[in-house]
Amino acid sequence: MADNGLGEFDRRSAIGGGLVLAALVGTPLWIWGKARQGEKGEATEDQRRMIDTVSDLVIPRTDTPGASDVGVGDFVVLALNHGLDGTREPASGAAIQGGGPAPTPRGGLYLLDDLAIMLRIKAGGDFNQATPAAQRAALTAIDTRAFAPGNDKDPWHKIKDLILTGYYTSEAGGSKELQYELVPGRWDPDVPLKPSDRAFSSDWTAVEFG
Amino acid sequence: MMQEFDAIVVGSGITGGWSAKELTQAGLKVLMIERGRDIEHGTGYKTETLAPWELPFRGMGDAERYWAEYPVQSMNRHFTEFTEHHFVNDRENPYAVPAGKDFNWWRSYQMGGRSLTWGRQCYRWSDYDFGANKADGHGLDWPIRYADLAPWYDRVEDFIGVSGAAEGLAVLPDGRFQPPMALNAVEQHCRDVFMNTFPDRRLTVGRTANLTEAKEGRSKCQYRSICARGCSYGAYFSTQSSTLPAAKATGNLTVITDSVVEGVDHDPVTGRATGVRYLDVKTGKRGTATARLVFLNAGTFNSNHILLRSTSERFPNGLANSSGVLGTHIMDHATTLSGIAAMPGFETHTSYGNRPTGIVVPRFRNLDQQDGAGFTRGYSFQGGALQSTWTAGKRAAGLGVDYKESLRHPGPWRMIFVTFAESLPRASNRLTLDRVKTDPHGAPVLNIAFEHGANEHAALADAKGQAKVMLEAAGGHVFLGFDQPGAGGSAIHEMGGARMGNDPARSVLDKWNRAHDVPNLFVTDGAAMSSSACQNPSLTYMALTARACANAVSMLREGTI
Repeated sequence: MADNGLGEFDRRSAIGGGLVLAALVGTPLWIWGKARQGEKGEATEDQRRMIDTVSDLVIPRTDTPGASDVGVGDFVVLALNHGLDGTREPASGAAIQGGGPAPTPRGGLYLLDDLAIMLRIKAGGDFNQATPAAQRAALTAIDTRAFAPGNDKDPWHKIKDLILTGYYTSEAGGSKELQYELVPGRWDPDVPLKPSDRAFSSDWTAVEFG
Repeated sequence: MMQEFDAIVVGSGITGGWSAKELTQAGLKVLMIERGRDIEHGTGYKTETLAPWELPFRGMGDAERYWAEYPVQSMNRHFTEFTEHHFVNDRENPYAVPAGKDFNWWRSYQMGGRSLTWGRQCYRWSDYDFGANKADGHGLDWPIRYADLAPWYDRVEDFIGVSGAAEGLAVLPDGRFQPPMALNAVEQHCRDVFMNTFPDRRLTVGRTANLTEAKEGRSKCQYRSICARGCSYGAYFSTQSSTLPAAKATGNLTVITDSVVEGVDHDPVTGRATGVRYLDVKTGKRGTATARLVFLNAGTFNSNHILLRSTSERFPNGLANSSGVLGTHIMDHATTLSGIAAMPGFETHTSYGNRPTGIVVPRFRNLDQQDGAGFTRGYSFQGGALQSTWTAGKRAAGLGVDYKESLRHPGPWRMIFVTFAESLPRASNRLTLDRVKTDPHGAPVLNIAFEHGANEHAALADAKGQAKVMLEAAGGHVFLGFDQPGAGGSAIHEMGGARMGNDPARSVLDKWNRAHDVPNLFVTDGAAMSSSACQNPSLTYMALTARACANAVSMLREGTI
């Protein structure tokens, strides 16, 4: 049993350009998180507001719904709570051979704490109370810094990844903003691409390797 | 003694289904025993038509639960929220590895086994492969050559349906193909460039057990490329879509599920296997079944496991193990992502539909001349060209309307080369019964001692270099490539342990996949392999199985078993 032709390797390890083993100022994220174990596994009201605002800044409403319209904030909180996308501890299951350790109670929610701190610094005060322009400026600064060379491990990457995942795997994101076709029924190997053509969220290979 | 069945087939995966089909069609009364649950074709594929937004974790799955229950399986790229129920629970199905070694044992315990989740790539072996052990002295010479297996490859391909393009290459013999799926624009360009620049290197579409023409109650492929969820169209080969209905149609098949075979019984007086002992995992009750023939098709490592556990005074180190080689010389292709390149110049091209196969560049090293630097045998590339999509946004700075707009359209093309390198058979890579660890049923778990050697590392180093050279020749800009293999098991091509050979003192099985020591015991899954080649092995397992079944039936009828 091999593959669908694209080979066997850990999808998380190969393509993300070094985002995988995220660490904060040189400290692996899961160690950072362990320091806050025992805290309740819920986001605060302020954090909920923050992630809604932040997700809309990334994916705003246009002629299709924006991130908060489709509940991306809820997905991000769920995903962090459950450690999706490597936001809890690094996958090293092979060393375990069938019996993992107890999960950390709070998953990856500490990333929201980190984001809140960064936003407060950049906004010069409470992000949720800042003007829309100041909010945008603060997040732009964080985003720009995270994508500067050498900052692959900035915690913003994980949050942004989950915002995108939450949006483009939602019904509106996957089938209104993009196209979704479960049963294409045929294979056309070479068709003209027009600038207005929307991508298919059901192009699973593109989603995985693109 | 009156046997209950003519044959017992242990396992219902790719080879178990074939054994059941071939033996029942020959008129034998067959019992098939599957350790996992039943999954009905069609109605059993619970996630087949779901969209990501219909799943709690959008297809990614609950990492917290995976961490606790599926720490090994969840590292497999085919393991998702859509397919998790087609893989074993690691906590309930432990194994052991020696300190400092690693092995990803990716498994599917259910009706159909890994035939539901396999990659469907179907490649014949050539005499470069069957002659390799003899030529360079690694391992033990195969007791068969391509000519012995060619008609059985025909039979298997005709039945399962393999789409592919005939290329006339000695290294990768053509089969009886359904029409090929077409290359996309970038792949076609690469093929053309390679034909001119590297005449020994042919890029062709992956030969795959996905139908391009309907056959026997199975529809042609719908180009969804979600095969591992199960396909109610029956458009790819699985036990459920193909061999099981054929076996059932004979009226000669009895199936037991949820029952783990704990051992093969052996009569020291007659020297024959008498049947199997099994544990019903639902009730905890133990049972036995008797038969004139026993076929082990439990999957490479589990067929080894069953033999190692079947000890007796006559066979204290495992059934059919008078040679002492049982469990040794296990293999798994060394695999890695050798190169990804951006492929500019195709911005006005796209494709429609999801082709469920990639491309292959068959082995070109060490064929008629030894041109591999520091390694013997070879490797092949698989992969394909694709366009990026919204996930590329994870690597891009940006916010807001323009950013959203940029992710709305198909992105730039890229070409991927993944290498599968031949794994040499080594005595030190071996399976044993673990001395300490037991499974939930109290049985000693399998200890898997495996590591890739210098040969595999040298092959992957060469592959990385050649991937770059070839992708750049096609106008690509390579931005990533690796030369280190994943842990053993990562190719999901585990092979060996009960190797075939002519010498009973150095092999477990003869040229008919029959145990040298036990004349009515056959092992026709990957355990039988004496070398690994670099092709995906399942087609060869099926051909060996069909051939072994025909011979077993003949011997049974002639009274020589």
